[in-house]
Amino acid sequence: MARDRPSSNDYTGPLRRLLLAVLILILGAVFLVWRIDSPRVERFRAQITDSLIPNLDWAMAPVTGTVNLLRDYQSYQRLAEQNQELRSELRQMQAWKEAALQLEQENARLLDLNKVRLDPRLTFITGVVLADSGSPFRQSVLLNVGARDGLVDGWATMDGIGLVGRISGVARNTARVILLTDASSRIPAVIQPAGQRAIVAGDNTAAPPIDFLESPDLVRAGDRVISSGDGGVFPAGLLIGQVSEDPGGRLRVRLAADYERLEFLRVLRHHGNERVTDSAKVVAPDTEAASEAAEAAPPAESNP
Amino acid sequence: MNDLSQTRLWLMRGAFLLLALLILLFHLLPLETTPRRWAGPDLLLAFAAAWCLRRPEYVPAVALALAFLLADLLLQRPPGLWALLALVGCENLKSRGRSLRDAGFGAEWITVSVVIIVIMLLNRILLAMTLVEVPGLTLSLSELAMTLLIYPLIVGVTHWLMGVRKTAPGDLDALGQRV
Repeated sequence: MARDRPSSNDYTGPLRRLLLAVLILILGAVFLVWRIDSPRVERFRAQITDSLIPNLDWAMAPVTGTVNLLRDYQSYQRLAEQNQELRSELRQMQAWKEAALQLEQENARLLDLNKVRLDPRLTFITGVVLADSGSPFRQSVLLNVGARDGLVDGWATMDGIGLVGRISGVARNTARVILLTDASSRIPAVIQPAGQRAIVAGDNTAAPPIDFLESPDLVRAGDRVISSGDGGVFPAGLLIGQVSEDPGGRLRVRLAADYERLEFLRVLRHHGNERVTDSAKVVAPDTEAASEAAEAAPPAESNP
Repeated sequence: MNDLSQTRLWLMRGAFLLLALLILLFHLLPLETTPRRWAGPDLLLAFAAAWCLRRPEYVPAVALALAFLLADLLLQRPPGLWALLALVGCENLKSRGRSLRDAGFGAEWITVSVVIIVIMLLNRILLAMTLVEVPGLTLSLSELAMTLLIYPLIVGVTHWLMGVRKTAPGDLDALGQRV
């Protein structure tokens, strides 16, 4: 029997080595194909996730629930002091609520006077967070709504208050949301009240920095950052957060959305901004007359 | 006896894949949606290394490649590269298993550390060479340190809890023959 081993090793050794070589080639090819044609492989990745994660939800949901329960238990221990805090906060909130109601009525009256119609096509779908990115290197979540529900890449995602991220990668039943904190996230934004345009660029920290700001002097900590809709991918006017300054003097956004607990997210349906393409025709009634006028114009200008 | 060990062999191969899936699921639980400053250990690689050194027949190359590729796909890494490096690293460990069997745990720990460090280094170099965004250095280093520190614990779990032990003289191997 002891003599059998070397011979069987001799037999399986080359085969095993061949198999290993084939596996290495396949894996290397997968990486190269991903590097060359990343959208296709990313779609494949989305499909794999799509077929795996929703089916395993029965196993994941109870564990998530249990862990959250344990975390909540820690906060139950501080129940009394929390109650006190909440009560004082509630008193402040009631004052604010009064102010908000008055403002709402005033706003409604003014809108009515102006005959303003808010964008009626901005509706949303709410999805449940199934999974997170699974690694600390990436910041994304997986929603349980997908192409089946009409989702399209690039749509904005919010929690109740602020912008959370952007849909990137839609499979049939699931869609991935790249969070604003991810290192690959870039969102065009405008800072109010200065009206400064900038890019909110994620860098894997809790507060993404503000890039490409024209004049930082006009921006102060506490200013509101909202999406600008530049580039036409995003609807304009979604709240992102507030400007804050980190110890290094760099401007960052303190995000309005509650990233601690992302459970339900709204995906805003967005059908693109209207574009004005025929700028010349708006002015001149007749195109031929307009072109003649354009030809005639330069000499007229040179001879005043 | 032959039948029994065959069943056990395939059971343990299935168990490894199940373990990989379980680790991935725990990674994917939607508990951490805020960015962290440090990264946890790469449990999958540590378990694969521990199993490779103990019972290479339980973790055939195909199972390793499948588990690592699935991890790449689910954890949003560039698919294929990490899997390729981890597979080569584990196969390298398998080939050293025989010589490490009689050495103490210290030698094993050092060998595994060297292999994991080389895997991470090569991963970064190749990503940089192909102009892919390289993950943050502090995160990578903390992941590396955590993986190396937790390795003894993983070996303990592998040995005592899962019953995957080094073959001792007189044991029967997968084909029912004496080692």
